[in-house]
Amino acid sequence: MFKLIVKMAWKNSFLRLSRTLLVIIMIAVSMSMMLGIQGLYDGMADTMIDKNRRSGSGDVSIFAKGYRVNKDLQYRIKNADELSAEIKKIEGVKELVLRVKAEGLLSTARKSSFASMQGIDLRAEESFGDFSEFLKEGEINLEGQGALIGLELAKRLKVTIGSKLVFSTQDSSGEINSIALRIRAIMQTTNIVLDTNAIFIDAKKMHRFLGTDSSEATQIAIMTADKKTNDLLKANFSDLDVKSFLQLQPMMKQMQDVMIIFNSITFFIVMTVVFIGILGVMYVSVLDRIREFGIAMGIGMQYRYIRIQICLEALFVGFIGYLGGALLGALFLLYLRDYGLDLSAFSDALEMWGYASTIKGTIKISYFTTTFAAIISASLFSVFIPLRKIKRLNPIEVIKAEK
Amino acid sequence: MFRFALKNILFYRGRSITTFALTFISTILFIVYVSMMDGSHKSMLENALKVYTGAIEIYHKDYRDIGGNEYLIEDVKAITNKLSTIKGIQAYTTRYETYGLLSSKEHSAASMLAGIEPEKEKDLSSIARALREGEFLDEDSGNCLYMGKGLVEKLKLKLGAEVSFIGSASDDSFAAEIFKLCGVFKTGSSEFDSSVSFVNRTYFDKVMYTDNKASYINIKLDDLDNVDQVNEKIINILNDESLESLTWKTLMKTMVEAMEVDSIFGYISLALFLVVIFFVIMIYGFINVSSRIKEFGVLRCIGLCRADVFSLLFYEIVILSSLAVALATPIAAYICYYYSINPIVIEGMSEMYKDYGIVSDEIPFDFNLLTISWNLGVIYLLNILSVIYPYFYINSFRPIEATRHV
Repeated sequence: MFKLIVKMAWKNSFLRLSRTLLVIIMIAVSMSMMLGIQGLYDGMADTMIDKNRRSGSGDVSIFAKGYRVNKDLQYRIKNADELSAEIKKIEGVKELVLRVKAEGLLSTARKSSFASMQGIDLRAEESFGDFSEFLKEGEINLEGQGALIGLELAKRLKVTIGSKLVFSTQDSSGEINSIALRIRAIMQTTNIVLDTNAIFIDAKKMHRFLGTDSSEATQIAIMTADKKTNDLLKANFSDLDVKSFLQLQPMMKQMQDVMIIFNSITFFIVMTVVFIGILGVMYVSVLDRIREFGIAMGIGMQYRYIRIQICLEALFVGFIGYLGGALLGALFLLYLRDYGLDLSAFSDALEMWGYASTIKGTIKISYFTTTFAAIISASLFSVFIPLRKIKRLNPIEVIKAEK
Repeated sequence: MFRFALKNILFYRGRSITTFALTFISTILFIVYVSMMDGSHKSMLENALKVYTGAIEIYHKDYRDIGGNEYLIEDVKAITNKLSTIKGIQAYTTRYETYGLLSSKEHSAASMLAGIEPEKEKDLSSIARALREGEFLDEDSGNCLYMGKGLVEKLKLKLGAEVSFIGSASDDSFAAEIFKLCGVFKTGSSEFDSSVSFVNRTYFDKVMYTDNKASYINIKLDDLDNVDQVNEKIINILNDESLESLTWKTLMKTMVEAMEVDSIFGYISLALFLVVIFFVIMIYGFINVSSRIKEFGVLRCIGLCRADVFSLLFYEIVILSSLAVALATPIAAYICYYYSINPIVIEGMSEMYKDYGIVSDEIPFDFNLLTISWNLGVIYLLNILSVIYPYFYINSFRPIEATRHV
C-alpha cells in the first residue's frame, strides 16, 4: 500500500508541471541566493577575524598591567623570555611571539604621521600567523635599516619600496630618540590598526633603539588549541593583563553577533515567504483534486493514507527544490570561495576598512543542513491547512459537487 | 476591463490577500531599509564634515600628493579677498598644519599641530563646540594649546601645564617652542582626539614663519548641495593653475566609496527578499490564472483579444499593488520621518567602531521623497513583471482549447 501511495504522490507532484516547477525554481533560487549571501558575509567576517588573530593578538595576548591604557614602555613585561618558556610548556599552547611596540612620529622628507613601530621576530611571526601572507608589495627583509610598513600608512605618507623614513619616539629612559629606516615591503594585514599605523622592524634592533633588554616585551601573543587553555593562561598569570582575542577586539565579537542575527533574520523571512509559496500551491493542488479525495474516502481509503500522500507530495516538491538550491548554492559558494567578489573598483575604501579588494566567501556544512531542515519543515507545515480541509470532507457531498 | 479586474480581485480573495500582504510587507521593508542605509551613510559623512574637513578646500597643487613646505599656499590674503566676492560661501578660514613631537615632563607623543583662526573656526568646524575642559582659543591666546583629550591623556597633562614642541618650520629650519595647555576637546573621533592640537595662527605664524601662508583654505557653504557649482566659481575666479580647489567628494573619496560598498551589500540583501516575494506573487498569480483558463477561453471566444487579457491581468496587479502601496507608504514614510528626527541610539556603538571613524551612537534615517518614489517604482515594476509568465501561459492555449480545459 505504502509503495502505491509513494507512486501516487510522486505522479501527483508533477500533475501540474508548470506550477510545481515554479515552486521548485522559487525554492532553488531563493535558497541559492541566501546561501551565497550567508557565505559571503560569513567569509568577510571570518577572514577579518582570522587575519586579525594572526597579525595581532593571537587567541590570547599577555601585557603588563597598565600597558593597554597607557601604551608606555614603562609598563613592559620584564621577564618575557622566561614567561614565554613557561607558557610554551602549557598543554594547548600552539605558538607564541614576543613583540615590542612604541608609538611615535614617522616622517619622510615631506610628510609626517603618527605611527606605531613594532619590533618582531620574522621567523616566529611566520610560524605564529604566516606573516609572509600579508605581503602586498616588495620583499620581507628586515636586515640593516629594513622596515615593513602598513598599507594605509604607506598611502598616507606617499612612500613606496626603497623610501627612507625617520621614526622618532621616547625610549625607555625617557629620551627622544630617532631611527632611520628604509621601506622593504608594504604589508596588508587587513587588521585596520596595523594597516593604518604599523611599521615593523627587527626585534633586536628595536630593543637597541629603545634601550630595552632583549628579554623584555610589551606583548606576548599566543595561539591556543581551545578555550580551556585561554582560561588556564588567565588563571596562571593573574598578575599580568591576560586578554582573549574577543576581549581585545570586542568589535569582532559584535561583528560576528551581527552576522548571526542578520543571517537568522534573513533565513526566517525567506523561509516564511517560501512557506507561503508552497502553502499556496499545495492548497490549490488539494482543492483541484477534492473530488478525487472524496471518492477515495468514499470507497474506504483511510484518511491517514491521504495524509501520507499529501505530505509526500509536499516533501517531494520541497526536496527537489532543496536539491536544486543546494546545487546552485554550492556552485555559487564555490565560486565565491575560489574567486570571490571582485570589488577592486572600491579598493581604497575596502582597504581603509580592513578588507581585501576581493571578498571571498566561505562554505559551511551548517548552511545546507539548516536549510534542509527549514525547507522540509516548511513543506510539511504547508499541508496542514489543506489536510484540515480534507479531514472535514463529507465524501458524498464532495462526489456530488461540481468541483 | 478595470471593473472586471476589480470584480476578479474580490472574487479570488485568497490570491488577492496574499498579493496585497506580500506587496505591503515588501514596500515597508524596502522603504525603511533604504532609508536607514542612506541615513546612516549621510550621518557618517556629515559628522566627518562637521568635525574638521571642509565642504571645499583649496590647496597648492601637489601639497596633498607630495607634501612639503614648498607646496604651501603663498599670498593667502589675495586668495581670501577673491573668495569674499563669491556667492554661496558662508565662511572660510586658513590653516597651517605641521607634525612634530609634543613632550610633557615625562612623556612624549607625536601630534599634528595646526595653526587656526579661532573666531573663524567657530563657524567652520565643531572643534570649538567640542571643548571639554578649559577654554577655546582666541586672538589673544598666545602660546595656548588646545589639545585632543586622547593626547592629553597620553602626555598625562593638566590644564596650565607646559608642553614643549619640536618640529620643523616652514623654511625647513628646526622649530621648538614651549606651549601652555589651555583647553581640551573631544570630538568623538578617537584618531583625531588622540593626535591633534591647535594653536592660534597669529602666534604660530611667528614660530613657524608662515605669515600669509597656509597649508590650505577651508570653506563652508550656505548650501552643501551647491558644492559643485560653487567650486566651479572658485576655480574660475582664482584662475591659478598652481592651486586646486577640491570638494568634500574628493577630499573624502575613500569614505564615499566605503558608503557605496556598504550600499552594494545592502542592496544584495534586499534583492534576496524582493526576489523571493516576487516569486511568491508570481506563483499566486499563476495559480489564479491557471484556475481561470476556462474563463479566459470564454472571454477570448466572445471577442476579447490578447491585449485585453493582458490589460485584465495588468489592472488586477496594479489595483492590488496600489492598494498595498497606498497603505504601506504612509506607514513606511512615517517610520522614516520619525527616525530621521529621533535617530535610533545604540549605546557604545561609536566606542566599538571608533577605528572606523564612527563618532556617534545615533543611526538617523533619511526621509527623502525622491528615494521613496523610486522604491515604489521598483515594487510596482516587480509586481507587473510577475504577471508576464501567467500571461504567456494563458496565451499558450487556443480559445476553444481553453474553454474545454479541466
